[in-house]
Formats: sequence, structure tokens, C-alpha cells
Amino acid sequence: MMRQLAMAWVLLVCQGTAWAHKASDSYLVVDVQGNTVTAQWDIALRDIDFALGLDRDGNAEITWGELRARQSDVAAWALSRLALTRNGNCPLQVSGLQVDEHTDGGYAVLHLSGMCPGARGALGLHYRLLFDLDSLHRGLLRLTLDGATHSTVLSPTSGVLQFGPTQATRWEQFSQYLVEGVWHIWIGFDHILFLLSLLLPAVLVWHMRHWQGVTRFGVAAREVLWVVTSFTAAHSITLSLAALGLVSLPSRLVESAIALSVVLAAANNLWPVVERRRWLVAFGFGLIHGFGFASVLAELGLPADALVLSLLGFNLGVEVGQMAIVAGFLPVAFLLRNTRFYLRGIFVLGSWLTMLVAFIWLLERAFDLKLLSP
Amino acid sequence: MCASLLASPAQSAPRTPFDDATVIEKLPFRAGDSRARELAALRASARKAPSDAVIAAALAQAYFDTAQARSDPRFIGYADAVLSPFDPQMSVDLLVIRGMLRQYRHDFDGALGDFAAALAQDPERAGAHAWRGAIYLVMAQYDKARQECAALLDLQRPVLQGGCTGLVQAYTGQLTSAYATLQKTLALARYDEQHLWLLTRLGEVSAWLGHKARAERHYRDALALGRDDAYLLAAWADFLLDNKRPAEVVKLLAGWEASDPLLLRLAEAETLLRVPAAIAHVQALDDRFAAAKLRGDTSHRAEEARFQLRLRNNAVLAVQLAAANYQVQKEPRDLRMLLEAALAARDPDAAKPARDWLQSTGFEDALMRALAEQTLQLPPVVKKQVMAP
Repeated sequence: MMRQLAMAWVLLVCQGTAWAHKASDSYLVVDVQGNTVTAQWDIALRDIDFALGLDRDGNAEITWGELRARQSDVAAWALSRLALTRNGNCPLQVSGLQVDEHTDGGYAVLHLSGMCPGARGALGLHYRLLFDLDSLHRGLLRLTLDGATHSTVLSPTSGVLQFGPTQATRWEQFSQYLVEGVWHIWIGFDHILFLLSLLLPAVLVWHMRHWQGVTRFGVAAREVLWVVTSFTAAHSITLSLAALGLVSLPSRLVESAIALSVVLAAANNLWPVVERRRWLVAFGFGLIHGFGFASVLAELGLPADALVLSLLGFNLGVEVGQMAIVAGFLPVAFLLRNTRFYLRGIFVLGSWLTMLVAFIWLLERAFDLKLLSP
Repeated sequence: MCASLLASPAQSAPRTPFDDATVIEKLPFRAGDSRARELAALRASARKAPSDAVIAAALAQAYFDTAQARSDPRFIGYADAVLSPFDPQMSVDLLVIRGMLRQYRHDFDGALGDFAAALAQDPERAGAHAWRGAIYLVMAQYDKARQECAALLDLQRPVLQGGCTGLVQAYTGQLTSAYATLQKTLALARYDEQHLWLLTRLGEVSAWLGHKARAERHYRDALALGRDDAYLLAAWADFLLDNKRPAEVVKLLAGWEASDPLLLRLAEAETLLRVPAAIAHVQALDDRFAAAKLRGDTSHRAEEARFQLRLRNNAVLAVQLAAANYQVQKEPRDLRMLLEAALAARDPDAAKPARDWLQSTGFEDALMRALAEQTLQLPPVVKKQVMAP
């Protein structure tokens, strides 16, 4: 003891600079989608050795064989120090073992998987790896919860965390779904063709069994406004009903009906049945198209904690996409409305082509064939 | 895909080794090494008697010593975990060790609190005074450091007192007296550890005085004791680098790559010599600083400033790091880095704390005085125009 005392001063300045080096970290990447958990957990082999003793032959080298021989011990030890909850405990299991290197040496890579009792609501995480043995150990967590990412450092004082609905990612979720909405209307040719079929005659008027251009831009614009608004209102209703799980229709029926709606809208341009109240057509078929959007949204998955917000974002996105199409279409169509190019080329030929394509879609979808699309 | 998401600065790609015999990690000790046996025995005793403060203190001290010798911070965490179950009913021994661990992590206020608590229980605890003196020196609170030296004198601990006084003298513009004090203390010292430390500090003081040959002799005497000591190696490497002898640094530090401060010096030497290994070592340091940042560790800023300045040529970042480090640590090497970085970044204002320190302490190192003078010659610059090269 005396000797230690004498050494105290000596030792202290020996590391007076107090170098910081690499203390112990584990790297935990967790992905939770609904009730499904997948994770990768990199734990330093030195740390596992310190906790469990891996170096069986005592030669200061850990081999792959020595690690593999203790796989079940390592798994049991690690899993007893990590708990995830979502409406209850999510039991985890080690589905694979690999190795990797980080800046301070070799790591065991544990691949984890598990299921939570609930698919919605807050996610609880309790981390306590090594804290009983090494209080400077930290867990570097990267959690993706229903698409939203959280990064944090887990320490003995912050090992228990809640992630969930009130996190500050609402705006991100909203804008993410907004972009998805825009994207979907842009790649959804059936929706675009339907809309265009209804818009093509907006700059024309059926007069004496012939189409001719409207006189004023305002007339065309009002027509477009009516059509687009009713289409929007209709598909918003069914999209919301379907997304909230209140109504559901078989997707084959929905997709076929959408194709049929395009066929009928284009046919109506060639053999007008409905000339005045196209907004009613837009509304009626818009209901069908809403179910189509809903199936896309179902594939994306709606975050449980921001359901309405995401739905609103997606809807608005679809609107923005439509508006962009209208804004591009209307001025050009109005300018060209009295030309042969518009009346014959775009209006008649375009409607024929649209009808043809949509008819093929209808056959494909109704009979589950592959005719056009790759 | 998981690998790319990993919050790791290293290029990581999990793999499955083909062969069971593949070595995937090297441990610091063989099971039969004397230190490993000592640690294992203490750990076993502690496990059997988890509430025994004496055993816990011995184990924590052994971990701390290991951290020092190997320059390996994992052992600091092990030591801390041994102590934490005793909080808040901690014996003097445990308080002193916790103070040591806290100062290691640059929690100087926490450490001072532990040493004060230890001295409240045992006013004659010389070790606590010695540690407090060292911390006050790092914090540039020289009057308080002197009080600790005086306490050591009262307790009749001449070696600790000599080391304490010698350093206060060195840092406050009395290098010649400092040299004499340390030299006198060396004659009183009885243990290798004490000799090693005093010789190292004599080497530093000699170098500040400009006595190169004498400095080298002290460093070589210290090395001849044959003990692993990261601080000695770093000081000797710095001396060699200052005297344009990088080839010797490369030889000296081969095998010490695991220690960040020593790897930093090795990479500096290799860069000066244009050795290919420099590239990998600079990258390794980059990765290690990034890894430290990920876990929220800021205690490496002194090294990182030097790294950015000398190996990355990023003077602007180096100034920021050196200035942040100066808020915590104010030893000569910290001030020198601040001066060098400010000079490289052509930012005379950033060097002001260092000039003030030189002025108020009268610290006599000619090199630092010249650097400070040069920062005064810089034209005043609008900071936004200073760009990283």
C-alpha cells in the first residue's frame, strides 16, 4: 500500500494527458417494421471474452472455431441484455453468426430476428450489455422504426429508451408520403390517361354533332376545375376508406374497373354520351381509382403512429401530381383547340389510342394475362 | 445492406470465415501471463466476496495500472464497474481510485470532488493531494497546485512533493529550479516507476531549456529501465520529431499502433519519411477519431487537433479542436498545439490564450515563445477568408 501511495503522483502524470483511446462499443442496427424485428449486433470479441471467456486454449488468440463452439452461450448472454417491447415483449433469437472488424479489432456479428405482440405504438428498448462489467461501454444504436430512423448512444444512464409516435419525424413522414403520392400519379399511366381522356374535351364543345373549340379560356378552366376536383374528392374518399381498413375490394376487380374507366372515358370522346356533366363521370370513376391508390399505399405501409398525417400527405401528393399535369396540359390544349392537329391528331387519334391501350389493360387485368406490360 | 447502415466508420462487411482455425481476434494477454494471472485471481476473489471493499480496491487498482501500461481504456471501464456497486458508501481507497478514473476521462471536477471526499475521511492521504496537484496543473491553477505540494511536504512525502514542486516550477517560468528540484528528487526515489517518471520529466524540462544532449540522456536512462510506458514513449517520440529524427520514431513505435497517441506520432514520422505505411496509419487514426465521436467522446481533442494540423493539413479544424481542448487542458503541449494551429490557420486571435498564458506564467520554452511571436506578426484576418487548404 505504501508503495502504491508513493506511486500515485508518479502514475498520474504518466498519463497526465489522459489519452482517449477506443473504449468498448457495440454496434446495434435494429429495423422494426410493424411487428417484425430484424437486427444486426456487432459485439467486440474482446468484450465477449472478458464476459464469457472465449480463449479456450489460453494462447491469446480467438479463432472462429472457439467462437462457434460458444455460439449458444454468446447468444444467450447477449439476448439476456437486450429487450425490445411493442405492446409487450418481442422475443428475439439469433438467426446467424458472422465476424467483422471495426477500428479496434474483431467483432462477432449476431443477426437477430423476432416478432412483437403489436405492430403499432411505441417501441421500448432496454440495453444493458456489459454495463455490469465495463461502465464505459456504449451501445451505438441505429433504429429504423416503421421507416423512421433514430440514432443514439446507449449508456448505463440511458439504456432504457422509448421510441414512438411523438418523435419529431412527423414532418418527415408527411413529406415522404407526399412524394410517394406525386410519384405514384406520375408512374400511374392508367390514372393519367383517365384524367387526360376527361380533360381532352374540356377545351372543346360538342356542337351540331361536331367538336369545336370553346370561345373563352375561362370556360375550359372551369370545366377542368370541376373534373379535377370531383376526381380528387372521389378518390380521396375511397382511398381513405380503404387505407383505414373500412372497405376493401379485390385488387383484380379494382384494377380491371380502372382500365374499364379509361376505355369508357376515351370512348365517350369519340361517341359522346356524356358531354355536359363530365364531373359526374370523374366522380364516379374516381371512386374506383381511389381503391387503386389504396393498394399502392398498402404496399408502402402506413405508419401506425401517423396514419392520418401520412394519408393526407399521400392524397396531397396525388393532387400535386395531377395539378402539374393539368398545368402542362391546359394552356397548350387551349392554344391548339381549333387546329386540325388538336381536333384530329390529339383528340380523335389520342382517344382511339387511349381506348385501345386501356382495353388491352382491361383484358390483361380481368383475365390475368400479359399482353403489353413487360 | 445492414452493414452499410452500421454506424461504424470502418468499412465493415460481415463475413463467415471458412476455417475454424482462422484467428479472428488477438487478446492483450495470454492466460498464463503474470498480469493476466494476477487480474484473473483478483477477479475471482472479487466474485466470491462482492461486498469486500479491500478486494474491490485492489482489483480496480490493478485494472487502472493495466490501462496505464497498455494505454488501453477498456480497463478504465472495468475498474469503474468494479467500484460502482459501492457508491455512495465508498471507502477512502475506492474514492481515490474513482478520482483517478475520472481524471483519466477528463472529468476533472468530478475527480477533485472524489479526492476532497477522500481527504475528508483521511486528511493524511498523500495520494489524494498528489492527484489534486496534478489536476490543478493541467487546469493551469498553479496556486492551488502549490497548496497541494505544501500538503505533501507537511505529510513528509519528499518524492511526491518533489515531483509536484518541480512541475509547478517548470510550468511557471522557473525551468532551471525545476530541473534542480526534479534532479534532487530523483536521488530520493526508490522505485523504478518513480525513476521512470522523474527521468521522463527531466527529459522534457531539459528539452524546454534547449539542452538537447541532456534531454536525450534522461530519456535513454528512462527507456533503459525496460518498462512499458506510453507517456515516456510519447515524450521521447516528440523529442525525436522536434529534432528531425523521424526514422528513430518509426523504429521506436513499431508494435504500438494500438495506442492512439503513439500511432499519431508513428504516422507523423512515417509521413515525414514518405513511408507507404503512413497512408494506412493516417486512415486508421481518422477512423478512430470518427469512432470516438460516435460514442460522444471528446477527450481526444488534443490528439485530433495535432492530427488535423500535421497529417490532414486542415488548420482551420485544428484551431477549433485545439481551442476546445484548451478549455479543458492547459499544459505546455496543449498550448503549443494551439499556437501551431493558429499560426497555420493565420488566425492571431485564436492564439491569444496561449500568448496570455506565456505572459502570465513566464514559461521559458524558446520554441513556444518564438511561435507566439510569429502569431503576433500575422496580419489581422477576417475569419471567413481563412479556408482549409
